[in-house]
Amino acid sequence: MSIRRSSGLVGALALALVLTGCGSSSDGGSDSASEKSETRVFTADNGKITIPANPKRVVATGYAVPALIEADAPLVGISSWKRGEPMMTKDDLATYKKLKKIAGEQAAETNYEAIAEAEPDLIVIGVPAPVLGDIDMKRLKSIAPVVAIGPSLPSAWRDLSRKQADAAGAVKQFDAQKETYDTKAAELTDKYKDVLPKLKLGHVGAYGDAAKGTFQREFNGSWGTNIAEDLGATYYGKVKKSGPGSAAVSEYPSIEELPAAFRDADALTYSVNADGSVPPSVKYVLDSKLWKNLPAVKAGKVFPYRYTEAATYGEGLLTLDAIDESLAPLLKP
Amino acid sequence: MSVAGRASETAGRNRRAVPRTALLVGGLVLLAALAVLSMGVGARHVATGEVVRALFDYRGTDDHVVVRDVRAPRALLAVAVGAALAVAGALIQTLARNPLAEPGILGVTAGAGFAVTLGSAAGLAGGQAGELGFAVIGAAAAALLVAAVGRSSPLRLVLTGVAVTAVLNGVALGLRLMLPDTFDLYRFWSVGTLAGREQAPLPWPLTAIAVSLAGALLLSRALNALTLGENVAHTLGASVGRVRLTTLVLITVLSGAATAVAGPILFIGLIVPHLVRKPASGSVPWLIAYSMVLGPVLLLAADMAARVLLPTGEVPVAIVTAFLGGPMLIWAVRRYGAGSL
Repeated sequence: MSIRRSSGLVGALALALVLTGCGSSSDGGSDSASEKSETRVFTADNGKITIPANPKRVVATGYAVPALIEADAPLVGISSWKRGEPMMTKDDLATYKKLKKIAGEQAAETNYEAIAEAEPDLIVIGVPAPVLGDIDMKRLKSIAPVVAIGPSLPSAWRDLSRKQADAAGAVKQFDAQKETYDTKAAELTDKYKDVLPKLKLGHVGAYGDAAKGTFQREFNGSWGTNIAEDLGATYYGKVKKSGPGSAAVSEYPSIEELPAAFRDADALTYSVNADGSVPPSVKYVLDSKLWKNLPAVKAGKVFPYRYTEAATYGEGLLTLDAIDESLAPLLKP
Repeated sequence: MSVAGRASETAGRNRRAVPRTALLVGGLVLLAALAVLSMGVGARHVATGEVVRALFDYRGTDDHVVVRDVRAPRALLAVAVGAALAVAGALIQTLARNPLAEPGILGVTAGAGFAVTLGSAAGLAGGQAGELGFAVIGAAAAALLVAAVGRSSPLRLVLTGVAVTAVLNGVALGLRLMLPDTFDLYRFWSVGTLAGREQAPLPWPLTAIAVSLAGALLLSRALNALTLGENVAHTLGASVGRVRLTTLVLITVLSGAATAVAGPILFIGLIVPHLVRKPASGSVPWLIAYSMVLGPVLLLAADMAARVLLPTGEVPVAIVTAFLGGPMLIWAVRRYGAGSL
């Protein structure tokens, strides 16, 4: 056997191993050596979909937008994702602005013609399952294979963003980003190990509705709390009545229930905007006399968190820094 | 008329005046009782004794804060908004001589909604103070426009109000469909509620409502003359133009301020005048006085129901009034008829 033939065999074996290692099976339908025609079966919210093994032109929407920009996926079109702009790095923001917008902020604002013009070989939809009803999936499928990988539980962004990167063939950069995050989280866990795990924490989220006289209480696993948990924080309690998605980890009680909700908390945290300003729904709580009566507030153990909407490891790094900055007074004797 | 005839009319008036006054006093007692009761109902259980202590011996405990700083302002708001909407409804029905007229028919609610939408789109209506400001400006501007175009006759006034309402609602809807963030903010405002208003800047709108209610009572005798027809009103010495303009101003301020502080609450302005028309016996002063009491009674009762109806938490009071309003209106019209307008 010639050296040339041996190296070809090794290459084929390596490719087979990589495809198997992805957790999805190759369809085996392509014997062509052409990389372009290689496919695999990918399990997504919308079923088992045959997608290119190595996509070259990817369209992303919703939560897949920041995840795939960070993972350096070969994007040719994205939906608008204004909520993520304050958390993007300078380079990622430049990429985001440069990429063609094929949909607005809402799934219903999808521009099918613009997607077709982008000639994608894969479409990654990052919206919650109920929102898929706003999208003409049949029309999208006529353009390219569509994988829907949307958010479920808030803390599930870790797995979901990896899955999105995997579908787009961009796991390498994704894993590098994850490693940076894990290292930073481990560092901060060590820094706060003597104080944070001992505290019973409560969190006020930004999605309460002052107009209805309610506030958002977030428990473990919610948007405002899940990254702090990576540092050893625990948000005690659980929702009175669990629901799908974020309703399993957060609830909206009346402001009258504020004392009962946080009476036992050693410290309280609350979500603020990226620029540090307090959203109206949180301000309503902070201005309430019931809040000022809480033991943790009287003890001065109140800490704002920025970047609580983080849904990628890159965004999570910002959240880690913000939490570290906010909780620093806990380390003072 | 003979002396005997005059004596008989006077005696009749006296016989009727006692029950009407008694009814009003009874209504006021019921209102006071409901207001106190409403301070004992809510997501947090507060014992009756603590409610009383919170009002008369405030110690700053969580129970006292809930009663004094959350529920008492809410009860006060229910009284003011209920009275404002009901009296505005009585005034517009009397002025337009139309039993289906309600405060929103002059475009006030649509004007407030349009302004809140516009303010949200411009990023200026964030927070309750911002919403309140835009709602007041929008309500006043819409009412001015309607009054300017339709002031010559009640029918023209109502038609102008309906047209302006349709245009403003259409444009506002278009804006909200184009701007999802604006839609998000507006949907919280668009269903009227009395919850969560305790931190809003309420003194100004509440003062405007109080002054306008007093104005409505003062104007009621002149309006009484107007119900007999313009010519008769002229003969009786009433200045028709001035009375009509003042009534329009009062309706605008009452419904505009009520909508600004609580959002759109339908049916109170429509059904309360129907419910009290029979006991008022065609007297506009009594119609307004009764409306001023029954409006708050209904809104307080609806607001208490809104707090306890669902085990999952409270619903906006506008939903309760919408559910109750339809059947109550049908009942009132079948029971009493539309009454004289």
